[in-house]
Amino acid sequence: MTIEEAEPNPHVLGWIEDSVSFFPSFLDDPYDAAEINCYNWWDPDQDFAHDLINTSAATSIASTITTADSSTAHLDTTPVTTSTATNPTAAAATTNHSEESVKQESSKKRKASLDNQDHTQRRNRSHGTIENSGSVDAKPGKPVLGGGKRPPGKKRGAVSSGNGGNGGNKEGRWAEQLLNPCAAAITANNLTRVQHLLYVLHELASPTGDPNHRLAFHGLRALTFHLSSSTSLPSSVPVTFSSAEPRFFQKSLLRFNESSPWFAFPSNIVNSSILQVLSEEPNKSRNLHILDIGVSHGAQWPTLLDGLSRRPGGPPPLVRLTVISPMGDSGDTDTPFSMAPPGHDVSRFLLGFAKTLNVNLQINRLDNLPLQGLNPQSIDASPDETLIVSAQFRLHHLSHGDRTEFLKSLRALSPKGVILTENNGDCACAGCVDFATGFSRRIEYLWRFLDSTSAAFKGRETEERRLMEGEAARALTSAAEMNEGRERWCERMREAGFLGEGLGEDTVDGGRALLRKHDGNWEMKVEEDGGSHCCVSLGWKGQPVSFCSLWKLSGGGK
Amino acid sequence: MAMAMAIDDAPELDFSAYSTSTTSTTTTTTITTTDDEYGCNWNDWSPVVDWNTLSGGQDDFQDLIESMIDESGLQPARSAVNYQKGCNSPSTDMTMFTDEEASGDDVKGLRLVHLLMAAAEALTGVNRCHELARLILVRLKELVSPTDGSNMERLAAHFTEALQGLLEGAGGGHGKHLISGGPQRDDHHHHHQTDVLAAFQLMQDMSPYVKFGHFTANQAILEAVTQHRRVHIVDYDIMEGIQWASLMQALVSRKDGPVAPHLRITALSRGGNSRRSIGTIQETGRRLTAFAASIGQPFSFHQCRLDSDETFRPSSLKLVRGEALIFNCMLHLPHFSCRASESVASFLSGAKTLNPRLVTLVEEELGPVGDQGFVSRFIDSLHHYSALYDSLEAGFPMQCRARALVERVFLGPRIVGSLARIYRTRGDEDGGSWREWLGSTGFRPVDISFANHCQARLLLGLFNDGYRVEELASNRLVLGWKSRRLLSASIWTSPFDSDS
Repeated sequence: MTIEEAEPNPHVLGWIEDSVSFFPSFLDDPYDAAEINCYNWWDPDQDFAHDLINTSAATSIASTITTADSSTAHLDTTPVTTSTATNPTAAAATTNHSEESVKQESSKKRKASLDNQDHTQRRNRSHGTIENSGSVDAKPGKPVLGGGKRPPGKKRGAVSSGNGGNGGNKEGRWAEQLLNPCAAAITANNLTRVQHLLYVLHELASPTGDPNHRLAFHGLRALTFHLSSSTSLPSSVPVTFSSAEPRFFQKSLLRFNESSPWFAFPSNIVNSSILQVLSEEPNKSRNLHILDIGVSHGAQWPTLLDGLSRRPGGPPPLVRLTVISPMGDSGDTDTPFSMAPPGHDVSRFLLGFAKTLNVNLQINRLDNLPLQGLNPQSIDASPDETLIVSAQFRLHHLSHGDRTEFLKSLRALSPKGVILTENNGDCACAGCVDFATGFSRRIEYLWRFLDSTSAAFKGRETEERRLMEGEAARALTSAAEMNEGRERWCERMREAGFLGEGLGEDTVDGGRALLRKHDGNWEMKVEEDGGSHCCVSLGWKGQPVSFCSLWKLSGGGK
Repeated sequence: MAMAMAIDDAPELDFSAYSTSTTSTTTTTTITTTDDEYGCNWNDWSPVVDWNTLSGGQDDFQDLIESMIDESGLQPARSAVNYQKGCNSPSTDMTMFTDEEASGDDVKGLRLVHLLMAAAEALTGVNRCHELARLILVRLKELVSPTDGSNMERLAAHFTEALQGLLEGAGGGHGKHLISGGPQRDDHHHHHQTDVLAAFQLMQDMSPYVKFGHFTANQAILEAVTQHRRVHIVDYDIMEGIQWASLMQALVSRKDGPVAPHLRITALSRGGNSRRSIGTIQETGRRLTAFAASIGQPFSFHQCRLDSDETFRPSSLKLVRGEALIFNCMLHLPHFSCRASESVASFLSGAKTLNPRLVTLVEEELGPVGDQGFVSRFIDSLHHYSALYDSLEAGFPMQCRARALVERVFLGPRIVGSLARIYRTRGDEDGGSWREWLGSTGFRPVDISFANHCQARLLLGLFNDGYRVEELASNRLVLGWKSRRLLSASIWTSPFDSDS
């Protein structure tokens, strides 16, 4: 699909703006958007800024882009810095466009594009079905969730009871009925029973098909791995983030976020919360500094940049994004979804994109900073900027003993806000529970991921889905799965000197609106802890998945 | 021979596809003649083969199942280690057993046993999950067919069918009759009568099961009625009546004994289901009457109808003072239908009130009772039938079609019926055997004579080496295949002194 077909608007810059201003809904479109994103936007070989400048009717923007090559040996804690400095005149020119008219125009566009959006979605959906009926599922009329047809040559044409059957009720979740007893037999050292269950699992496991077959597949791999006491899983299948091809990785991430709120929902809450914290700052001319300890691999920031650009009074003069990559040798790299493939770099795209929005963005990526090493110096914090920390799905690798200490070190950074997002579950580590219990908790987590992802992809088999599931399955073997429930995390935050901050109406409404676009089994819940709405939980079929919470320093400031 | 002609009365009977001879049906219990006849017929039926080479593999197959059952066995542990090894090497990761050609029947057999056990557990275990059972059965159906493949594959197909029936019955309102193990089930009505007769004939020739039961019971009857002028046999399940043809022949050919006594047979008939697997009771009666006349045996035939729930009422029997009353209870011969326990119990309790001279009981021999209810019983059943299958294969290694017929007509429905019964009782009631029940209700054992024991041994001598007979109690002979005991015959008499 070419750009012209996608959008009648010949104005490329306008097209991008429109699309981006509706990132979340735009992401609903499962097919074309992703391809465009992937092959047009995110192509690292494309001289992105150049195109934009030439096609932009606004003005010629004299930009100095210093793209620091990540391979240029700054591999100590020295920040790898990439920045755009927008020519002030150009910026002025754009702003001259008259703030008001820009606003009007953009809201008009927003409306137009909303309508367009509906069109595109509908069109793309039917397109998707056709494409699909040819390639994946031959029965378009039938609900395909859980009944995804296997590729030819696979062992069995598994049929499933379909959508409702394998969900919340345990009856449909047959894979756990084999995996958990097997883990229990391992713990009980009952080898005959272990062998029996491995045989049966082997017969029913498959990397494709309904979530149960997939769970059996990943679970069997993990059990075998555990029994073999070998140091590494067989490397061949399935693919994980760190072994994926970077562009395919990028594409998969986008497509997943379009289809499932697993990460899109927390990202949405984080972005809204950042805007909320900013809006509460009296001084609008302070720089914004975001500390990103997350797993979004940059995918969540375009929406925030767009939000910042449309903020009353314009974006902060400088937006600094400091990304803490998981450091080798720490448990952090073991955390599912934390690793990106070597060679993956979104800085270039984000900088180009920021420029189109006239947001002055600077990105620092810290590749060799352990989480425990965070301090104002290591992240180059400055006292006259608004520091906001976003920690997503990464902190649970910290040992239980180190956790509160780490949160205290976060507090020492004096951030204006901390948004903590974590899995909402119990610990699976060997220090807390025996193998069988831990394994069943891991399986529970993976089941929710596989089941909701099957719904997200409507049962279709795609490589992208395979990658996301392969990465999620690392949770079965990772030593980093030391989750804690929401209450415990909140308790720790309070212990570390934070105070829960109510999530704004806009934030909650935004999250609700996002969920409406996804499968009806997703649900969110605003938690009423002591009267403040500092937490919002995400659940799948009545079971907790994750939570997001917003925190400020207790006692105000240092 | 007369008996052969009697069977040949069925007009559409045609054995030509399977046999050149129909005379191998038992017509006598005289040891010398059986020997001759069998030797002769046997050669007609089966080419000479080297049993040992063929049976070796079969033993291995049984070992597989036994190793599954033996919880403490070391072999499974060793296999588990192999399994890991297979999975660790990248090239064989997760595909260890998919190469069926390379791994052979044994490995496939083992896979099937594992799957069947898992299905049984998913159907009834503590963590039962019918969805899991359903999926395992889907997988099993992909792996097996009742007509193709190895013994284990065909057997697994029948067990799969049986489990499927239980699953459907358990899930919806269908198949209630199946779970209840009622009398209507698993008869052979849906098979063509020709097939049924042919299969019966084949089974008689392939294996000693039917004859073992009949001969042992008949010999005990003969010995018990030497002094009697009138003999009355009440037969719980007369089927085709062949047991009595051989008894009559023995009665009339007694050389030194008195003249043949008058023989009266009362066959129990089931209400609402008068058609039996092999003809009707009336046909059986006509056939027996004609046969008796042809050899000069004084004979009369009666029916006694069971209640609608197959309960036996002693008052419905017509008894004549002075006759020796004998209750004959053949339960689990391979071609028999499964009967409800309540019905059998009513028959045997009825017997007690009538003070019979003899009770002859033939039933299947179950393994030791496990503590897992249905699953243990299920595995025991699998073991039982696998031995039966193996023995049939050893008897007729080259006759796949013949075996397939026997399996389809008799064993498949038997498996369905017996699993339904186990399922219904969850294995709880089934722990005990009927002989234990008889003993506990006061029946007294009657010793098996030396002649009777010898006769059984001679009978087995006509078949494969794998069969063996054991005298496990003074009144009880057990027929087994290799290490598995299959069929038990026991002889009892009334708790009270007989008024003979």
